[in-house]
Parts: sequence; structure tokens; C-alpha cells
Amino acid sequence: MPVETLRDWIPVALSADLPPATVIPAHTPSGILALWRSASGKLTALADRCPHRGMRLSYGFVRGEALSCIYHGWSYGLTGQCQRIPVHPELIPPAAIKAASYAVEERNGVIWIAFEQPETPPPALEGFKPLRSITLNTDAERITATGEMRVLLAGIDVLLLIVGIGVGETLAHVMVDAAASDVDCIAVSRAVEGWRRECEQLGLEELAS
Amino acid sequence: MTMAHQPMIDQWYPVALASQLPPEGRATQLMGMPITVLPGTPVRVVTNDGRDLHVIVRYGHVWTSLGKPSKELFDIPEADQPGRRLVEVGVVRVRCSPLRAVENFLDIAHFPFVHTDILGAEPHTEVGKYDVEIRDEEDEVWATKVQFYQPQAAKSASGGITTDYMYRVPAPTSTVLYKTCPARPGEWDVITLFVQPLTEELCDVWPWMALFDDETALTDLIHFQQMIFLQDRSILENQIPRLLPLDPGREIPTRADLTSVAYRRWLKRHQFTYGAQLVAQ
Repeated sequence: MPVETLRDWIPVALSADLPPATVIPAHTPSGILALWRSASGKLTALADRCPHRGMRLSYGFVRGEALSCIYHGWSYGLTGQCQRIPVHPELIPPAAIKAASYAVEERNGVIWIAFEQPETPPPALEGFKPLRSITLNTDAERITATGEMRVLLAGIDVLLLIVGIGVGETLAHVMVDAAASDVDCIAVSRAVEGWRRECEQLGLEELAS
Repeated sequence: MTMAHQPMIDQWYPVALASQLPPEGRATQLMGMPITVLPGTPVRVVTNDGRDLHVIVRYGHVWTSLGKPSKELFDIPEADQPGRRLVEVGVVRVRCSPLRAVENFLDIAHFPFVHTDILGAEPHTEVGKYDVEIRDEEDEVWATKVQFYQPQAAKSASGGITTDYMYRVPAPTSTVLYKTCPARPGEWDVITLFVQPLTEELCDVWPWMALFDDETALTDLIHFQQMIFLQDRSILENQIPRLLPLDPGREIPTRADLTSVAYRRWLKRHQFTYGAQLVAQ
């Protein structure tokens, strides 16, 4: 695996998996972020911890342009600034109450985050379109040294974006040839399952030897 | 386990329901120490190396201590009041600090969000001022004059009511809640949370109740309480850090959190630190 820097874009999800007014846990090599899309479609990546009592914000809910913590309903805007504390409805939350926010960009159907604002946009991945994300029970290093690999699955050109998200846990975002038909996509989707098993098996064999 | 935890080692903890001990005993653990609760007269609690621990059977549960308790088990006078139904709810295992389980029980502001349309509902989210004190004589944390609007405060309640509460922490992992009794105005229903610390990040929670309610089926009472606590569990297993921070550190309490603030202060004062994080991270 390449050494990740804070300024590197990390692919965390496919656009299709984050509809408006939802939040998901975005897994990165450095931990989980709360990634949410507002009702109007704006993306925000926040530290996955409510500053009030430490509850994970990725368990929260999105209403309008704010993400609320599921524990006490404290809500956070697009910058991470706390906007409302329901237990004290009259209170204007002090500016100090804020969840850290991180760079997030969406390009060609893939959502990328970075811990510090990178100087360049995330890669366009021209010629490919997003298919699905899968998780693998193996280390990312066993699959690729670069975080990216090209393979032929079901005869279709496939680009895999590989992110290690923990010991023995890897996320792969599967991109297929932009010209692939629906039938091709279904075939690739099936073939990816076989590829996953091969990767996991390889890991087990190495452990056994 | 280190000597640093001695003040908590010397406390009483629930380790079983007395009425449900299997003939071969209940193998469990307390603060990392494997123990077995053996049925009989009297009930015994033994360690793997054959040591007999102190035992009390009270409030439906078997209580024990790995050390030498300096005090009797705390008193709940209502437990002996005629006409109350004593409800043994059972056990819920939670992957959290035993102290976090207690702190969550003391919290009312989460009702509309975690127990939606049962113990609370938007827009009734405000918690007014209430009184909190550490009572020196009893050495207990008390919160009184707590009021909250609830859509369905208890199994026996129909429709929304403003409910009065009092909260009490008589031991580091035991807490008692007194709340408006829908069936008998002027009396308080008693709902407790007795927490067995298995490790610093794992606990068995034993809710227990002493209610004025002759109507509701026992199964329904138990299901209601279990449903409420399972909703709490989804919170408790996802708080960061797992240990309860005793210094404010990176958390931001408000006026509604004063019971929690007093509880943490009281824990710190007594060095009740098993399951706590002392240095802010």
C-alpha cells in the first residue's frame, strides 16, 4: 500500500449508495467518518463523534440541510457547526460546539474524502462507471500495492479502487468499462464475488503456510 | 485488576436473579474475575480458587462483592411497601462501560430521539431546571423536580402526560428511578438498573421494578422494559470512548446534563474508576 498522506483523496462510497437526506459511516484507513448528503444534495464529511456525549454521528439522521445526532438530536450544518440543541430550544449554540469537517468531493459517481484539502481534484476515472462497493475479509496489501488495479472480469475491463479499512478488512469500489451493458454489469457483479473469494482464500493460504 | 480499583472492589454487585438459578449454578464473572453463583440455602458465590464471597439476596437478585463491603446494600424502602408488584426483568448484556450504562439511565434528554413516541416525542424536547445534589449523609447522588412530557410513560399509561421523576445513585453501578405512577397518583413507581460489571467495557444489566400496576400482564411489563433498554443499548455500544470520561475533556455538558456531571464528580471523589477514563483524550 502506498503511504497515505492527509492530502490524499480516499474513495469512500459510490454516489448511488448515498441518496439525499441520508448518512453513512465512511470507512477510511484512519477510521470512520460520518458522511451525509443533505436534502438538497450537498455532501459533508464530519468526525464520527458528537461533541456532546461521544455518540457516533453516523447513526444519526438527516433533515433538510442538517445532520442530527441520534442520542439527543443535536444538529450540525454543512460546516459541522452545531445549529440546534433540542433540550434547550431557545439556546443559540456557541460557535465552539462543532464537529470537525473534512474535504469531500464527488466525481464520476464516486465520493472521495481527504483529511486536509488536496491541491488537485480526485481522479476522474474516465472511461469507467461505478458498479458497486464490496468488502473483503483480507488485508488490502495482499491485493494491491497501489490502491488501484485493473482486471478483466467476465470479459469486461474493470477498475478496482482498493482501501484498507482495518486489519483483515478491505473495501473495494468496483468500476466497469463505461460502455458495459446492463447484462455485462450483472456478469461483472457476479464475477466480483468470485474475485473476492479468491482474494480471501489467498489470505488464508498465506496464513496457513 | 489493580489496587487502584479497590474502592469499587469493595462494593456490592448483582450477579444473578435468585429465582432463576439453575441447579448447577450460574457461571459468570465480576470485574474480570470468574465466579459461580450456587443455588441453595444460603445461596453461595465462589471464585474458581474456592473462595466464598460475601452474599446478600435482595430485590430479587443475588448480590456479591470481591472485597470487603464497608456498607450494607443500599435500601429501597418501597421494595417492602404492600401492594407493589416486584418485576424481575432479566438480563441484557451490553458492550459498554458499566458506568456508561448508569449514566444513560440518568439522562432524560434522549427520550424523544431514542425512545421515540414512547418515553418522549418531538417537539417536546425541552428539559427544565431541576435540582441535583450529592447528599452527604447518605453519600448518594440525587436529582429531583425533574419533569418531562411523555407520550406513553408506562405500560399502564394511555395518552401523553407530564411525568415527574427523581433519580438516585446509591452505588457506583446501581441506580433507582422514581416516576409518576399513572395508576396511583401521589405514589412513585420505582424502576431500577442494577449493573454487573463483567469487565471495564462489558456489563450485564439487570433492570428491576416495584410498581403499582395490577392490570398489565407480567410479560407485557417485561417486554416494555426490555424494549426500552434495547433501544438504549444501540447508543451505549456506539459511544466514543468506550470508557466513561470523568474529566469533561472533549465532551460538552449542558444544564440538562447536571445529573451526569454530579455522578461523574461523585465517582471521581470516591475513586470509583473501574470503567472510567481519567485522563481526557
